[in-house]
Amino acid sequence: MEVLAISIDTVFTHKAWNDNELVEMIGKDVPYPMLSDPKGKIGSLYGVYDKEAQLNFRGLFIIDKEGIIQALSVLPPPVGRDVDEIIREIQALQHVEATQGAEATPANWEPGQATLKPGPELVGKVWKEWKP
Amino acid sequence: MKVRVGKKAPNFTAQAFVAGEGFKDVSLSDYEGRWVVLMFYPADFTFV
Repeated sequence: MEVLAISIDTVFTHKAWNDNELVEMIGKDVPYPMLSDPKGKIGSLYGVYDKEAQLNFRGLFIIDKEGIIQALSVLPPPVGRDVDEIIREIQALQHVEATQGAEATPANWEPGQATLKPGPELVGKVWKEWKP
Repeated sequence: MKVRVGKKAPNFTAQAFVAGEGFKDVSLSDYEGRWVVLMFYPADFTFV
């Protein structure tokens, strides 16, 4: 699992932000690459660049080992992400991948909880297997 | 928009700051074979 952070800032600003604020906030250097996307070329490619504000919105893309986008989410600048939810989604996606689609994760699923096994026998019978 | 769940993530190359390594070029294709979380954010030194 790799994390790539990306904004319109230059690598110099990334370094300054890491060295002067983020190190204070988390007690160590940022442990993943901070990418520079001046003019939002990459943001535009991913549909998250805002031309008026001249910056990228808070887009998040979960990409699997084959390079396929498995999940995406976009938030506006004033609203931060929920990291626990992102981790939960990755765990669910990896669980589904590991079972090659034999299992599906129901709403609010967390690792260790029961999954559903999609198939004709389950049609109309999900209520027997899972409670909200 | 060509970016969709279920479609290939477009490749790109960008200059990056990596603490401990300095400045280097990073491409999405460097990470083939691994799960990647690509997170865009508005700007350094802002609030959220």
